[in-house]
Amino acid sequence: MKDKLKQIIIDGLNLEDLTPADINDDAPLFGEGLGLDSLDAVELVILVQKHFGVAIKDMNEGQKAFQSINTLAAYIAEQQKA
Amino acid sequence: MPESSDHTPPPPRRPSGWNSRSVGTRFQHGSFYLLIRLGGKPLAYVLLAFVVLWYVCYPSTRRKCSHYLRRRFPHRQGFWARFVDSYRLVFSLGQLLIDRAALGIVGPAAMRVTFPDGPRLLEILAAGKGLVMIGSHVGCWQTALAAFEHVPTGVNLVIHRAEGDVDLHYFEHQGQVPPFRIIDPLKEFLGGVLSMLEVLRRGEILGLMGDRVFGGDRHQIAVEFLGEPALFPLSPYVLASSAGSPIVVLFSHRIGRDAYTLELAKVIQVPEGISRDTAALRPYVREFAQALEDYVDRHPWQFMNFFDMWDTSPLNDLTPKEMVDRHEG
Repeated sequence: MKDKLKQIIIDGLNLEDLTPADINDDAPLFGEGLGLDSLDAVELVILVQKHFGVAIKDMNEGQKAFQSINTLAAYIAEQQKA
Repeated sequence: MPESSDHTPPPPRRPSGWNSRSVGTRFQHGSFYLLIRLGGKPLAYVLLAFVVLWYVCYPSTRRKCSHYLRRRFPHRQGFWARFVDSYRLVFSLGQLLIDRAALGIVGPAAMRVTFPDGPRLLEILAAGKGLVMIGSHVGCWQTALAAFEHVPTGVNLVIHRAEGDVDLHYFEHQGQVPPFRIIDPLKEFLGGVLSMLEVLRRGEILGLMGDRVFGGDRHQIAVEFLGEPALFPLSPYVLASSAGSPIVVLFSHRIGRDAYTLELAKVIQVPEGISRDTAALRPYVREFAQALEDYVDRHPWQFMNFFDMWDTSPLNDLTPKEMVDRHEG
């Protein structure tokens, strides 16, 4: 799941210089770390819905999920079970 | 929009030292509010005439006006012409602020607001795709909001109040709850974009300014406005493309001492799925810039953006590929 997620992020956000191995599971997605920004977040919401069928419905959920690959993968897994 | 790792976004970079704080002190604003209560707007306008003269004597005030004036009126460049035009522009701003205060102090009866295209807006909203409403620093958008009383969905406005801002929003004069939800891009996680997307997905209205960029330089694009490339935000178009929502360009216009009208200047349909492609978004930003130019052609004294939007130097920090995408031409 995490590797798939990383590949989706790389492809979807045009991070052409990166491979899944370059992305640390615990590194922050935004700012320092992967260096994504707020408009990337908009795209990420769409990508997660498209590829995993999981809607990030509000800001509180997004804030929890968008910390790192680990938190996002956990959020997707939790929502898919529910 | 701001970028942050600790969720406390940095203040927006303003190369010219510009900020959106109110002109004048709390006492000065309070004096105007008192005059409106005692003698209505005419009395406040009398004080305004002198206050504006005082402010326009400062070169810094005329400099702020000149960004717009020298492009809108390129043939009026002399000192006195610029002085008179600056006076007229700042006086218009003062009138709008007094109107806004009167709306809050006296109530809705203080202002007649018409919105001939209201039914068209409702029709667009009925499609259930949400609606990105782009306004501009023209006229007085707060008075125009009176026209939204009967809109059947939530109205959400992206507003940031700078520290030290002392002029009150109209609903604050009587301690009322705002008739719309405020999303503050400098206070919310990731610049509030998740909240913005959320309201669009609920089919609600998201109102943003189309002529002001908050924070990150990557989120702006230079398109021609009044004969030169000027910076416009990309965020409204990215959000519209991501959510599949139409964009409606709305401008308010003061048509008399107690009357405003709200015009639906344009409907912009940004295709879904192009939110990552800045070059593909450019024509839609141009449509907005053209609508704004048409507006200032008709109402030259109601353009209230004193920020130098023609300073495209923030784009110099971008990568070569981004610079090509974001520069005009």
